[in-house]
Amino acid sequence: MFANLKQLLTETGRLGRFASHFFPQTFQARFELAEFIRQCYIIGYKSFPLVGLTGFIMGLVLTMQLRPALLDYGVATELPEMVGIAIVREIGPVITALIFAGKIGSSIGAELGSMRVTEQIDAMEVSGTNPYKFLVVTRVLAATVMLPLLVITGDAISLYGSYVGVNIRGTTSFQLFFKMVFDGLAFSDVMPAVIKSFFFGFAVGMIGCYKGFNADKGTEGVGRAANSAVVISSVAVFILDLLAVQITDLFGLN
Amino acid sequence: MAKQTFNNIKLGLFILAGLLLLIIGLYLIGRDSNLFGRNYTLHVQFAHVQGLTPGNNVRYAGIQVGTVKKIKILNDTLIDVSMLIEKRMQQFIRINDQVIISTDGLMGNKMLQITAAKDGSAFAKEGDVLRSKTMLNIDEMLVVLNKSNQNIAVISEELKAAVIRLNNSEALWNLLNNKLLPQQLLASTANIRAATAKANLLANDLHTIIADVKASKGSMGQLLRDTAIAYHLTTAIDKIKTVGDEADSLANELNALTHSVQNDVNNGKGTIHALLKDSSLVKKLNNSLQNIEKGTEGFNQNMEALKSNFLFRGYFKRLEKKKK
Repeated sequence: MFANLKQLLTETGRLGRFASHFFPQTFQARFELAEFIRQCYIIGYKSFPLVGLTGFIMGLVLTMQLRPALLDYGVATELPEMVGIAIVREIGPVITALIFAGKIGSSIGAELGSMRVTEQIDAMEVSGTNPYKFLVVTRVLAATVMLPLLVITGDAISLYGSYVGVNIRGTTSFQLFFKMVFDGLAFSDVMPAVIKSFFFGFAVGMIGCYKGFNADKGTEGVGRAANSAVVISSVAVFILDLLAVQITDLFGLN
Repeated sequence: MAKQTFNNIKLGLFILAGLLLLIIGLYLIGRDSNLFGRNYTLHVQFAHVQGLTPGNNVRYAGIQVGTVKKIKILNDTLIDVSMLIEKRMQQFIRINDQVIISTDGLMGNKMLQITAAKDGSAFAKEGDVLRSKTMLNIDEMLVVLNKSNQNIAVISEELKAAVIRLNNSEALWNLLNNKLLPQQLLASTANIRAATAKANLLANDLHTIIADVKASKGSMGQLLRDTAIAYHLTTAIDKIKTVGDEADSLANELNALTHSVQNDVNNGKGTIHALLKDSSLVKKLNNSLQNIEKGTEGFNQNMEALKSNFLFRGYFKRLEKKKK
């Protein structure tokens, strides 16, 4: 128990120390722009189909599940508004971030872990390239920038799924559906969601890099790095979500 | 390298799509709360805003034209509501237009509704205060509804009792079950029709009679319409009256006369009094009658003696022969 606690604290401390290098390194000269764009492509664009699919299904399922409850109260016409708020405020960012953690967290962890294990990172250091700058900063930055975009596109697809879900049982025109969705939304719904998804992306990228960068020697080290990267980044997403809701509540935006 | 460029294009497309969606979403939200576009502010004051909050919709004749911007308490009986109205409405909203607080649907959000005054007053400018009108809120309506419900309950109870009484009434059901009744009713209506037809004829006759009378035709008409006859009648009646008066005085005189006669009779004057009231006269009359009886008896004997007398015997024998 005590050993576990000690390990948790040590890990958190090391993660913090690892992350603290990020900002100075980011703004230091010699930017790895090409690598950053390549990572954006891999992290953002390549994740899009997965996020789109999960988003569509999520919107559809959520709508169909909520419908009977709203029908009980006789407010089934408010379905678009309700689903819109649910998706934009909470479900979109969190589900996307979790999928993102599953896909990107594990891939970064495995990639950097295998580079660590095959001593490529050491070789980089020897050759004079800053591995942190080249490997970590580009990936974390790409994850931070790409996740909000994925969340927004995922929200859009999710709402389309919801529109399909509404039209399975009832009839609502596309225009009316989106009119109702945006009637229910305010800036205070969208902005916190967008802002917190930056933090989600940063957390997922940073934890994946940390786990991969500090992978144990041996092939099982790679697997462990990938696995723990997914688990910890998923938990981190929920913790950040909790923080975000408390902060938005503090500002009276709920 | 070509693949790299292609990948970059795809990435660019993805990023632009994401950003575009964000911008469109934010614009749509912003448009609903009138953050973009040109607006102007109007005010309205209520005693009670019934749960209106900033951001609620403002509608003009049912069209979304703005939102509630701010709600400020002026004093304990007055609340100022600022409305952000689209600039294009400046040429429609007039200073005398009325604003009411209503509900979107039965349970929906509160909203403001501007109703056109249609009186041609000046158009409302920035910062003007429109007129407010307090509508019944649901609580008050429910109170009234409760009262009507109670009344309906009483009425339905009474109706129920009435229906039960009707149901239990044998006379009514007999009447309803009677199959002859409709036929009889039909016959009666036929009779009534005939009667009315006759009444109609009668009325026509009467009408002609009245018309004749009006036109002074016939004896009735003359009686009613001829002024000369009326004059004659008046004089005749006058005469009858004078005759009556004279008869009256005559009767009075007769009365006086009988009175005096009666007095005389009672007081022993005159012949009648002697006849009616004097008892000594009766005795004398009695004696006289007895004397007359004796006289006639003597005369009879004389007559019998005469018959047997020879002088007159021949005469009487002839008399008897004639009789035979």
